[in-house]
Amino acid sequence: MSHTVLVCDDAIFMRTMISDILAQAGFEIVGEAETGSQAVEKYRQLKPDLVTMDIVMPDMGGIDAVREIVKQDPDAKILMCSAMGQQALVVEAIQAGARDFVVKPFQPSRVLEAVQRVLG
Amino acid sequence: MDLSQYAELFLAESREHLSACNQLLLDWERTPANSAPVGGLFRAVHTVKGMAATMGYGRVTDIAHRTENLLDLLRRGSRPATDELLQLLFRARDALEHAVELSVVGREDELDVAEVVADLESAAALVAPHPLAPSPRSGEGERGGDVPPAATGRLVQVTLRAEAPLKGGRALLALKRAQALGAVQGVTPPQAGFESDDFDGRFSFRLDSSAAAADIERAVRAAGDVEHVSVGGGGEERRAAAPRGGAAAAAAAEATPEKSRHIRVDLRRLDELMDLIGELVTVRGRLNELAAARRDPAVDDVAIQISRLSADLQAGIIQARMTPVWQVFDRFPRLVRDLARELDKQVAFRVEGKEIELDRAILDELGDPLLHLLRNAVDHGIETPAERRRGGKPPEGEIVLAAVRERASVAISVSDDGRGIDRARILERAKREGLVDPHAEALSDDQLLRVLARPGFSTAEAVTSVSGRGVGIDVAVTRIRALGGSIDIRTEAGKGTSFVLRLPVTLAIVRALIAGLGGERYALPLTYVAETVEFGVQPTTIVEGREAIVLHDRVVPLVHLRRMLGVSGDAPPRCPIIVLEMGERTSGIVVDGMLGQQEIVVKGFDPPQGTLPVFSGATIMGDGIPALILDAGGLV
Repeated sequence: MSHTVLVCDDAIFMRTMISDILAQAGFEIVGEAETGSQAVEKYRQLKPDLVTMDIVMPDMGGIDAVREIVKQDPDAKILMCSAMGQQALVVEAIQAGARDFVVKPFQPSRVLEAVQRVLG
Repeated sequence: MDLSQYAELFLAESREHLSACNQLLLDWERTPANSAPVGGLFRAVHTVKGMAATMGYGRVTDIAHRTENLLDLLRRGSRPATDELLQLLFRARDALEHAVELSVVGREDELDVAEVVADLESAAALVAPHPLAPSPRSGEGERGGDVPPAATGRLVQVTLRAEAPLKGGRALLALKRAQALGAVQGVTPPQAGFESDDFDGRFSFRLDSSAAAADIERAVRAAGDVEHVSVGGGGEERRAAAPRGGAAAAAAAEATPEKSRHIRVDLRRLDELMDLIGELVTVRGRLNELAAARRDPAVDDVAIQISRLSADLQAGIIQARMTPVWQVFDRFPRLVRDLARELDKQVAFRVEGKEIELDRAILDELGDPLLHLLRNAVDHGIETPAERRRGGKPPEGEIVLAAVRERASVAISVSDDGRGIDRARILERAKREGLVDPHAEALSDDQLLRVLARPGFSTAEAVTSVSGRGVGIDVAVTRIRALGGSIDIRTEAGKGTSFVLRLPVTLAIVRALIAGLGGERYALPLTYVAETVEFGVQPTTIVEGREAIVLHDRVVPLVHLRRMLGVSGDAPPRCPIIVLEMGERTSGIVVDGMLGQQEIVVKGFDPPQGTLPVFSGATIMGDGIPALILDAGGLV
């Protein structure tokens, strides 16, 4: 059975790209979220094996979403999607419970490596 | 990967570390109870080991590893150094140096390191707290079967891949992975530093875990983007790294050195730059001459600007070539110590003015002459403790190596408080060999040096064994002269001897007086020019059979350049005398005329056989015609 993934990003472009990369690698994209609060809500509903989480999103940011999700499920496996220069935010997200991170622009191989580390 | 391109860098850096080791060992020897130098020694040897392993120099790595092992045990035991241990460490350092030098030229195989390695091993076995406890090593080659030490903090050092983005986040992930195996503490740099964009991806921490080194390494690597992991042993080191106020801060500062503001530049590149600037200076001279002839304000303007810019450029590049004298001086404390030990003498060696700077090219030439002088000072100058006591002196002699800046030159002196040179013996011998007037009653300091500096004379056995001076003096004098410098000697029976070397600060470009003589031009570096006076106006006298003038109550012997160089024709009735001053010695050079001052670029030259030893090089004048450079050292 393939792993299920929830993709959270406020940009359709980014969601599409991540979904494509993961789908091609055999993952099942079970849901998408555009805001942090949507991400928390959908995690509760879908219980995915993996979440990819953008850091900067409207409504509730990615880091707060990580905190909320980890509070509900300490085993949640969340992969942060960050841009260059967001060192402090990435550190904060990891302290909040994120398991790994990838840096935009995404290279499929690096995304998949990170996913393997998170699930492995 | 082709490593040969890194060999030079490896050599330079290893030398620095090994030189530091010498200093640390000497410090330790002086106060054996204070084991503070051990930490520095350990780090230096560790660094050399890491570099050598990367280069694939097996023997260097081997000696370094065993030395490091011993140092590690000593460091943890914080025990005072025994003389035996210190001698072994000195030997190991020397072996390491030898191995480094041979390795970079591909002659590593010639080395036989078995003896020192065996001695290091047996010393380590003696010092080890438990008989032959498994020695803690860094991860390599010890997977799986590694017997883990008790659950003490093991030092884990991690380097992230250079290309890894957001290294701080990655480092934090590695720490989290490690935390799954045990408690993590003593993170350096402190975790807050990970958020900084300057974080370079190197960090270390202590892990309280009984997991095998290989498992720890695997866990850390699982964080991704990890280039290198080393897992060390536990023990006393944790004191330094544990997060306890000052110590932690110090450790952090050490682990993440401030970004260096220095780069290494191959000396040859500086030489090339210097050559180019030399040509620029020559062209500038020509431009100035043209501008002067044109009398066009616009051209003048450009000429002035070019002059200013090239002068700045020149000053900049000369500055870049300046090197503090400690780079050569630092090896002498060890040398003096070894020699004194060998000869059963007690010597306190002091170095002053280490920070004084000289052109690299000059500094590189100074090592040997200074070595000769220091060796002589220990061997022949300083008396045995018993002899000193009889003479009412403290049993410990003193040798001082000092550098002082004097106007455009640097004076370096080697002084001892030993027995001084026996003038009577030297005089006697000099008379026998016809080197001085047979009726002379005493030798002045200058005459003494002249006699000592004669190659045949100085190596004569009778002189060295009786008076105790001479070996290598001629070598030193020749070398210093070739650099455009001078040597002076002062000696007093029973009180000591002092040699003073005076050297120009830079060789490459100097301001010079241009003198005319029989249609040729000669350049005289201003470094040693005291003043100019007029011949024919100044009354001359004869002193000790030489024509001289009296200037400021001093006798200045004259040298008629025209006669000396064998130029035909007569000198004009009134002509300039250029007064040269080198330390206490002076001389007045009589030339036909003065053609002004200018900067000249010194080009070395090999004088044809039979050339008078009064030229130190040549230069190209502004009009493109070469001129010879007169050597002040050869004229006074």
